[in-house]
Amino acid sequence: MPEVKLVDVTKRFGDVHALRGVSLTVKDGEYVCILGPSGCGKSTLLRIIAGLLQPDSGSIYIDGRDVTYKPPEERQVGFVFQNIALFPHMDSWSNVTYGPVVKCMDRDTAYKAVRELMVILNIAKYSGLYPYELSGGIAQMIAIVRALATGAKLLLLDEPLGALDPRVRVNLKYELRRMVKDLNLTAIHVTHNQEEALTVADRIVVMRSGIVEGFDTPENLYWRPKNLFIADFIGKVNIMRGVISRVIGEKVLISLTNGQLVELHAEGFSEGDSVVLAIRPENFEFSSDDVMQDISLTGVVARVRFMGEYYRYDVRTEAGETIIVNYPVGGDVKKLGEKVRIWFNPETVLIYPYPEKGIEKELMVEI
Amino acid sequence: MQNIWKILRITILASTFLTFTILVLFPTIFLASFPLIYIDDIRYEVFENPLIGSENLRLIIEVLTFSFKLSASTVLVDILLGIPLAFILARGNFPGKLLLETLVTLPLVMPTSGFGFASLLTWTTVSGVGKWFGLSRGILSITSNLPFIDVPIIIFIVHVSLTLPYIVRTVQAKLVEVDIVYEDASRTLGATSLTTFRKILMPELLPAIFSGSVLAFARSLGETGATIIVAGVRLTAAVAVVKWEFEFKLGAAAFLGLILVLITWLIILPAELFLTSAKGGIVKPPSLISGTIVERALIKLEAKFSKRIFKNILHGVCVALLLVLVIVPIVVVVESVFSYMFKDPYTGKTEGSVIYQLFGPANYLPIMLRSTAVSFASAFTSTYISVFLSIPLVYIIDRYRVGRILRALLKVPLVIPSSALGLSVLLFWGPKFLGLLTPSIWLIILTQIVFSVPVIVETTMAVYEGSNIKLYEDAAKTLGANPYHVVEKISLPILKEGIITGAILSFTHSLGETGAAMIVMGADIPISVLVVNMVESLAIPAALFTSAYLIIISTIMIVVFRIVSGRRRI
Ligand SMILES: Nc1ncnc2c1ncn2[C@@H]1O[C@H](COP(=O)(O)OP(=O)(O)O)[C@@H](O)[C@H]1O
Ligand SMILES: [Mg+2]
Repeated sequence: MPEVKLVDVTKRFGDVHALRGVSLTVKDGEYVCILGPSGCGKSTLLRIIAGLLQPDSGSIYIDGRDVTYKPPEERQVGFVFQNIALFPHMDSWSNVTYGPVVKCMDRDTAYKAVRELMVILNIAKYSGLYPYELSGGIAQMIAIVRALATGAKLLLLDEPLGALDPRVRVNLKYELRRMVKDLNLTAIHVTHNQEEALTVADRIVVMRSGIVEGFDTPENLYWRPKNLFIADFIGKVNIMRGVISRVIGEKVLISLTNGQLVELHAEGFSEGDSVVLAIRPENFEFSSDDVMQDISLTGVVARVRFMGEYYRYDVRTEAGETIIVNYPVGGDVKKLGEKVRIWFNPETVLIYPYPEKGIEKELMVEI
Repeated sequence: MQNIWKILRITILASTFLTFTILVLFPTIFLASFPLIYIDDIRYEVFENPLIGSENLRLIIEVLTFSFKLSASTVLVDILLGIPLAFILARGNFPGKLLLETLVTLPLVMPTSGFGFASLLTWTTVSGVGKWFGLSRGILSITSNLPFIDVPIIIFIVHVSLTLPYIVRTVQAKLVEVDIVYEDASRTLGATSLTTFRKILMPELLPAIFSGSVLAFARSLGETGATIIVAGVRLTAAVAVVKWEFEFKLGAAAFLGLILVLITWLIILPAELFLTSAKGGIVKPPSLISGTIVERALIKLEAKFSKRIFKNILHGVCVALLLVLVIVPIVVVVESVFSYMFKDPYTGKTEGSVIYQLFGPANYLPIMLRSTAVSFASAFTSTYISVFLSIPLVYIIDRYRVGRILRALLKVPLVIPSSALGLSVLLFWGPKFLGLLTPSIWLIILTQIVFSVPVIVETTMAVYEGSNIKLYEDAAKTLGANPYHVVEKISLPILKEGIITGAILSFTHSLGETGAAMIVMGADIPISVLVVNMVESLAIPAALFTSAYLIIISTIMIVVFRIVSGRRRI
């Protein structure tokens, strides 16, 4: 049921603009992640949705109802905190039934639902324990049950996995998504962890300095990022500068700074435009012979890192740039100082107008 | 080389311990031995006086009952007023918060006799707020009583102002420590703010409210300086100790003092035990009504009163009351100094002016200057000695078994009524026992040391426990520093903040203390007592001037204190 709509929400703390006009709509039943660097306003946004903070301006609608001025206790949301926040003086059972008790819900029905949920999640056996007797993962699961115990259909999670061990984190991550889907909930999950967002979300909100930079499916954000910031923020890119030297129908001919010419599919550019090419590290290949001469670069391997499933090479080109190349394990391993030739498939290149503020500014996580 | 340091250390610690025992410990507990030594005096004066029989015993019971009613009702109002104020200070974020915080603390450093006089003037005389309402008298009479409990309102409000800081500060400190996330969690789970307060915060705050109440109760029970001024003919137990000592009813005074000390102990001891057992662990109060019909009704009620408007009204009322209780008397006293400067504003006589009393035949100026000198000299000397005694004591408390006992004993001078403490010191050093000193500035200094050492030790211990000092000391030792260097370069700089804070607190405390000083001062009258004397001899303009002057000094002091402790916000 719950659909969440924010219209032009702003929030300031003194001189800090935590949110600068955020508008977005989370659809019913969606699992949305809010992704962004620390301090970009993710928690502020979530707390405003929950009613724990008042926006300076803008409106919040839950289920089409304007809740902007409603206190948290009247919003029917479940909130899960990074530091878990189980009430320390209550055991697990008192914690999970706290909501039904303070809302004066019918005891039998509410308790039955809570017990069922605990059984499904396999945590019923911890009912009698106090928070300090629980491991982080279990405690967070109890906290999730607590958030849902009053029948909330909108689950707000503020870095719910942030305080947990890496292994617990992975398990709980998928558990969370399955639960949200099984119970027909809408979830808004805040995280600064890219991988977490990419793997669990239906759609991701990318935030920077109080602004929504993008809101799309993980695939679109990764393969068709709307702007250079997102391209770089989601999964790193190599960046090359160039100028459009000719427009040929749906294609453009770009001359790179090192003088090489590249032909790409691109629209909306005209001759003389400055552009930026962004190429993902996994889209580079090492070439053994002279194929595709025109878009290859030569350089020296300046650093080699073994990343598990692939190697990551820093290749220093003749022009002095450093290109990062991810190359799967299995091929022959390049050695430090080895001269190599690398090339990329023009189909995989992302192309953007040269940012007015300069590349460095465009990519900065804080503005 | 090793041996020399060892001998030096033992010498310092042993001499500290010895000095501490003689200067602080014996005088503190001497009163307890009094009934054993002077059993006959007590029997004669209290129980079997040939002239009046057990009249003094009846009086003792009467003043004790009165004191109890007064202190209990004071603490009750302190709690009601103090919790919202603690909330405003801990959770609020508004301009003027620092000012409000300073205001709350002000009564802790203000000489109580000066404040008492200011309150008396403000509420019971025509020079006070009565004038603002066009009355030709005060808005209270000195005999206006609280309904049901027969406690004069003026004494009651002075006690509330003076003890409120204890509740506010302890609850505020605890609230700052409690992560706000629990309140957030509770709200998102559907609890209104009042329900959240009851179910989530109360369990956390109970120990703080409890220990704050105990301190406030002890303080109210022992308050002398302001009470003696506003009480009129009514006697509280602490004031009775002073009065009877003046009337040479030493046996009755000592007996009452001892009872007061024992009562204070009976209250403090269980509190200490309760708190140390709860410390670290979590208080898990049984929720008797959780989920019952009673709770449902309560929750509905709480929901009604959780509206923002009620919260704002409550906060507004509490802040307004604080302003009225603390600021208005200060304003009135300062304003009155000006209106009484050259003539009595009501009779027009110049004999009733501040100038006339200070410089005219009464010639209060030299007396005032001498009292100022007595106060500052004694406060400075006692603080100075106490600092040097306290630093090795902190070390002893931390490293040796006896430390814990010492620390518990050090709480005694902090909580027992100061007049009882003064009496104990007088009996110990004075003609009745050691016979070394008669009442004079020397006894004032010795008395002040007794309550200054605990203050400095406590603030220094707080810093000591909050820092990893042992780690740094060990690190310095492994780097080859000798013990002297470790102390000078590592320990002292870390402890500096606590020592300075303690020194400032004990200095202001010494400067403002009245009850004990009245007993031990002899002819060396400190300025805080001078106010009392002036009021008693009806030299109102002189009392006005002196009160204003004391209040200004203490305000300056609290500003300095704020600056020094700014970072830690003690
Ligand atoms: N209560 C507050 N008072 C002052 N500044 C705040 C407060 N809460 C957040 N901020 C500031 O607002 C910005 C956004 O904070 P937050 O929403 O917590 O970021 P995130 O969750 O993305 O790390 C930060 O610069 C933070 O310092
Ligand atoms: Mg955050």
